[in-house]
Amino acid sequence: MIRLLIYISLIALLTGSFIPLISVKHARIVRKFSLFAAVIGSIAMLAFSSAILYTGNALRIFLFQVHPLFQIGLFIDRLAAFFMFTIAIVGLAVAVYSLSYIEHYEYKTRKNVLTGLMSIFILSMALVIASANMASLLFFWEIMALSSFILVCLDYDKKETRKAALFYFAMTQLSTLFLVAAFAIIYNITGSLEITQMQSLSSGPQITPLLSTILFLCIFLGFGIKAGIIPFHKWLPYAHPAAPSNISALMSGLMIKVAIYGLIRFIMFVLPVASLWWGVLILVAGTLSAILGVIYALKEHDIKTLLAYHSIENIGIILMGFGLYIIFSLNNLTQLAMLSLASSLFHTLNHALFKSILFMAAGSVVNATGTKNIEELGGLIKKMPTTAVLFLIGAVSISGLPPFNGFVSELMLFQAFFNVYLLGSYSLQMLLVVCVAVLALTSALAAACFVKAFGIIFLAQPRSKKAEDAKEAPSSMLLGPGILAALCILLGVFSFQIFQAVSGMFGIQFSIPNLLVIGILLILTYMLALFFADSGKKSKLKNIRESETWGCGYKFPLKHIPTIPTEYTASGFSEPIVNIFKKFYLPKRNLERNYYDQAQSVFKDGFVEISLIKFFEKYMYMPVAAGVDFVSRKISRLQSAGLDAYVSYLFIACLGIIILMRFII
Amino acid sequence: MTAILQNFMQGSVQKFLRESLPILAMIGYAALNTFFVILISPFFMGVIKKAKALCQRRKGQPVLQQYYNLLKLFKKETVVSHNSSWIMLKAPYINIAVIIVASLFVPVLFSYNNTFSFYADHTTDNNTSNYTNPNNASNSPIFGNILLFLYLLALGKFFMALSGLDAGSAFGGMGSSREMSLSAILEPITFLILLAFAFVFKTTNFFEIFTLTSTTGIVLANPALILLAASLFVVLIAETARVPVDNPETHLELTMIHEAMILEQSGKNLALMEASHAIKQTLFMAVFINIFVPFGYIGNTGNIGNSAAITFVSIMIAMLWFSLKGTILAVAIALFESSTAKLRLFKVPELFMISFFLAFLTIIIEVFR
Amino acid sequence: MMLTAILSGLSETPEFSSFSSSISSLPSALSSSLSYPLEQVEKVLPADIQISVDIIKIFLVLIILTAAFITVRRDLISMINIYSIQSFLIVIVSLAIYYSEKHPTLIYIALITLVSKVIAVPFIIKRVSKDLKIKRDVEFHYLTPTSTIFVSILILFFMYGAFSDLGLEPVHPLSRIFTLAATLSISLVFMGMIIIFTRKQTITDVIGYLTMENGVVLFSLFVAELPMVIEVMILLDLVMLILLLVLLGFGIDSSIEEFHAKLDPFRKLLGKEGEEQE
Repeated sequence: MIRLLIYISLIALLTGSFIPLISVKHARIVRKFSLFAAVIGSIAMLAFSSAILYTGNALRIFLFQVHPLFQIGLFIDRLAAFFMFTIAIVGLAVAVYSLSYIEHYEYKTRKNVLTGLMSIFILSMALVIASANMASLLFFWEIMALSSFILVCLDYDKKETRKAALFYFAMTQLSTLFLVAAFAIIYNITGSLEITQMQSLSSGPQITPLLSTILFLCIFLGFGIKAGIIPFHKWLPYAHPAAPSNISALMSGLMIKVAIYGLIRFIMFVLPVASLWWGVLILVAGTLSAILGVIYALKEHDIKTLLAYHSIENIGIILMGFGLYIIFSLNNLTQLAMLSLASSLFHTLNHALFKSILFMAAGSVVNATGTKNIEELGGLIKKMPTTAVLFLIGAVSISGLPPFNGFVSELMLFQAFFNVYLLGSYSLQMLLVVCVAVLALTSALAAACFVKAFGIIFLAQPRSKKAEDAKEAPSSMLLGPGILAALCILLGVFSFQIFQAVSGMFGIQFSIPNLLVIGILLILTYMLALFFADSGKKSKLKNIRESETWGCGYKFPLKHIPTIPTEYTASGFSEPIVNIFKKFYLPKRNLERNYYDQAQSVFKDGFVEISLIKFFEKYMYMPVAAGVDFVSRKISRLQSAGLDAYVSYLFIACLGIIILMRFII
Repeated sequence: MTAILQNFMQGSVQKFLRESLPILAMIGYAALNTFFVILISPFFMGVIKKAKALCQRRKGQPVLQQYYNLLKLFKKETVVSHNSSWIMLKAPYINIAVIIVASLFVPVLFSYNNTFSFYADHTTDNNTSNYTNPNNASNSPIFGNILLFLYLLALGKFFMALSGLDAGSAFGGMGSSREMSLSAILEPITFLILLAFAFVFKTTNFFEIFTLTSTTGIVLANPALILLAASLFVVLIAETARVPVDNPETHLELTMIHEAMILEQSGKNLALMEASHAIKQTLFMAVFINIFVPFGYIGNTGNIGNSAAITFVSIMIAMLWFSLKGTILAVAIALFESSTAKLRLFKVPELFMISFFLAFLTIIIEVFR
Repeated sequence: MMLTAILSGLSETPEFSSFSSSISSLPSALSSSLSYPLEQVEKVLPADIQISVDIIKIFLVLIILTAAFITVRRDLISMINIYSIQSFLIVIVSLAIYYSEKHPTLIYIALITLVSKVIAVPFIIKRVSKDLKIKRDVEFHYLTPTSTIFVSILILFFMYGAFSDLGLEPVHPLSRIFTLAATLSISLVFMGMIIIFTRKQTITDVIGYLTMENGVVLFSLFVAELPMVIEVMILLDLVMLILLLVLLGFGIDSSIEEFHAKLDPFRKLLGKEGEEQE
């Protein structure tokens, strides 16, 4: 039965990806058909992944052999099933959302490409997770990278999009490079590429500490780059705004989670037994990503870039949980380790849910208004009420506020942190104390950032003509994120019951508060307050007078300059925080003044510019890029020579091979 | 015949009572705690105002003026801006609901064993409370989780800030921007203090912490914990929008944070906002009082119905003690406010940083000794 | 309810359990070699000594806190007052140690500190600053006040790491707080250095030096019984420092002040003082 469902899912997604190629004439029907296939595939995936989650019977399916080393086979245990469950839910919602979204897309022929590639993208992510073999993992990893690359550069007419796509492609290939290196080392040691039969790696005598360090670093960098941890995060804020919104939702909600899956899978099951500094490195990287991600997000006024930075932040939180898991389990605190792991996994699911909602709602907004700049939006809560509610649910969830799901995973992480006194090492305890403070700051800043995002986009008056003319999105674009929003609420409110149910799986009892009771109490108190406030004789809630906003005696909007709104702007909102954290933004002021006279006393004109130094780009990416450029220029000089030179290269190469074969090996 | 009936009646009533006891206890606790907090909080507000006025050599308003203010505001009509949406109208209700539910998390007068499960058959056993077995999740307490308490307050703040932005006035936006920024940088301090509590008390539940402080003298055994009182005081000052951070009495641009945020509210909605602010202040004061000067607090671990410690008289005495201590703390806050000047907005982080430093030091010396 | 029924029927995954067992059965040598030794067995101290230990701890924190205050304060008078408080706290700490240790040197140290650093030195500096007519020091180099405190936290962190497994042989029965005191006093020295290099005014620099010196005294209180000679040497150093301050203060700053007085109208024009006037 489960096998049947898996085949159905695979076939449906495959069909979904090839249908759009059939006909350009009846493009609309074909697209609808393809998306329905994707929906069916997602539902089937949902069914079999929850079945595996339920039974816990790991499943192994052999599909196809290309080469003895490169077999395509599936291996789905609970961990994989959990991630596939996430993919299925988000994939389903995004497919539903895309039913209308794709029709709004500007270009005609690219719509088909978009539809088809979306199915391939979802399929490849699922297959990366299900891969039983490192070669096939790499194969699907590359398909995932390629399809997402094409999806990102769908708007290739724009210059920024091309730049973003190339940047993304370079980074993703870099991650593949590290993975290939890691897999090669593993193959060298064990002689096998099977992911699941790696016990020899941990027990075998062949592995030296140095090798295991290199192996860990390769795995960490390979998956870390793809997950977008700082300082390898730069592709996220480029690629997400460039891609269509449904693809951003998939990339941010799922693709970076695939990298997290890889990290967890390899560190837990494949690599030799972890050492403490792995955990510390992951924890510190996670903490840095969390805090820097949210600080950069606060500065951003492009809605999708803002969300991209928040993905970095949440990846940081997930990694903090996983780092804690390693630290605690090496200190023999199994219960706390499992609590951290559970929080990490739960936050993975939660982030996939609410980030997809936010990206989809943002996509609706961008579609309706034609701008991504939140400074031009405003007042959309009246124009797009349902989208506003969806965005609000996403915003409350991502800010980690009760009784939504984001709160629960953060709560569990904090609970794990609050037991640091059980650790033996003082330095480690101090490190964790600092991490707690940073995590608290992160979560509070995230709330501030989403007050800004929601308040500026949806509240007050429209700040431009575009925002005034906005219309509510069509129903399927509300249904898609609506499913996820309902799940956000359910996962939050029923978290106590859910974790009681899964406590056997982790072998610990979760002591999290019963949010169902709290939720009921909240609603009850709300009703009571409404009732009491209304019960007065004269004052009925309906009896509300509307008037102008008080403006210190001025009339809004000012009559003589009616176009200038007096409402607060996004940059105004984030100004205090930007001021407090200005060290992190590295603002650079460029001031030029011209004077009429030599003594510089009569001011003529001037030029002032405040720019933010793109720290990582300037000091990390660019030097590397320049170095690569330099080397390749040197090499290309060799290439441009004439025939004689080539013959001489050939001569040297042949001689070299013979020497190598005969004398060295 | 009558005897049998009587027996049956009694038996069933007893059984009914025993089974529904946790829920009844919860309702009783909730009603008592909540009403006491709601009723007393405008009083503390009034005390602070009166004491400040006396410091400035003014006569000042009557102590009970805050009650009249709230009643007056409830009778007034609500005026909202054309620009605003449902957020503006609902935010005060959401806020008061959140604050009242949060008030259930801070037992002001007495602790009780507030654990019950909806699934397991509930045998009320006095001897094995959750304190002996904190890891038993089916017995995890409903109320008292500090993290949930803080995040509930954050939820209220979230909606309050949104309502500040809703009217489209520059003042509301400025208020919510500053409120969110300052509360964001206050958060690490709060969590460090919490962490220190978790280190010392080995729990993050207010009920258990207050029971420990009032019955065991654990604070006296860890004197360095008193250093945390200073940090907690800074948190109290900042969360309740008091002088070095904010000025609760003016709407001037330089000082406006909290007041600016609720500038557009009027009538009932304003009354709800003011009431929730007062309750929030009382809650923070209660945390401060019940940890550092817990005498008078009834710390017990039993259930409400069959605990000897919780009687009508003892609750009355606890109320009196709390009112007295609260009044003293309110006067102390007023004196502190009168003796300091409002800090410039961008100097506030320095104050917070000092407080953070203190909390960090306390953790180092008390916890890693 | 159905969800509960479904999920509660789960058996544990072999992977999860096998992994957790494999990681929990790690060679303990691996984890113990990386972590610092666990807390030593707590000695049960007499009640009064326990109290003095607690008091010392609190005052140690307060001393560090005064240094933190000095780093963020802008007006000189309150800085000097805080320094005086800091010295007074050292007096209290040395008396508290005397209470458990009963070593007469500690009393002398307390007396000398009280006379010189609580009363005399602040008085002199106040006089100097009064003559110089400098009230505030508002400029910060390299670090802002907030980041100064952040750096101080990092310093504490490193010092703790450095001292926690040093295994110094303590002399007191107060050995339990020896590590702590060493950490904090060396941190105090470093914070003094921070004060010196983040500030411009000579007087603030001197306060930084004095803070450093207090750190040294604090350390010496805990390390061993210092010979009185060294203590007196430190004091002599201090006197030299104050002398230098007076000379430098009058020699350089006053001339600068006079120069500034001439420039005053222009300074107002340029609005240089606007930063503090809010």
